[in-house]
Amino acid sequence: MSEAGSQTEPGREESQQLNARVVATLLAAWLVPGAGHLMLGKLRRGVIFFVIVLTAVAVGCLLEGNLYRVLPNQPLTILATLGSMGMGAPYFILRFIFGYQGNIVAAGYEYGSAFLLTGGLMNLLLILDAWDIVRDRKA
Amino acid sequence: MPLSHGLLMTLYALLVSMFFAVLWKRHPRLQFKLFLQLFVGMVGGALLLAWLMYPFPSGPPTPFP
Repeated sequence: MSEAGSQTEPGREESQQLNARVVATLLAAWLVPGAGHLMLGKLRRGVIFFVIVLTAVAVGCLLEGNLYRVLPNQPLTILATLGSMGMGAPYFILRFIFGYQGNIVAAGYEYGSAFLLTGGLMNLLLILDAWDIVRDRKA
Repeated sequence: MPLSHGLLMTLYALLVSMFFAVLWKRHPRLQFKLFLQLFVGMVGGALLLAWLMYPFPSGPPTPFP
């Protein structure tokens, strides 16, 4: 009985280390686009993803697109907000530090909203990709 | 910021094509091939759709404010 316990102990420790690594990678991947890939040693891809996502967000802001937030009696804004929040730290910096909210009468409002939402959704896909890499399901 | 529909559409297609090419393929050659397929598909598809819609009227003219 004690032998079986001593055999499973290293395995459990390894599993806990893996879980901690997975959580840290996913958190980094969410907060900073491309950071998850950088943590996993995918330098080139991490930098490319960082540039692409931040370019999409920057273009969206320049066009004064909508940075979605939940509105009462509009359930679809919950999904759009979750999608936008996918961009991680940039969402909260734009919303709470710069007070950004877009300009509905701006000529580029619709395009800008699409760019901002796409930035968030792309980063959500990056989190899933980092998850696959850290679990050794993908190179 | 320039507000040309064509330019913004091309920029959007460029970013999305680059993103998925790097996400889905590992080898640079395959990435470039997929990038071209996606980019040409998106921009070409949009232009083709615009061309097909060209004969159809877009509705009454907007009243002058």
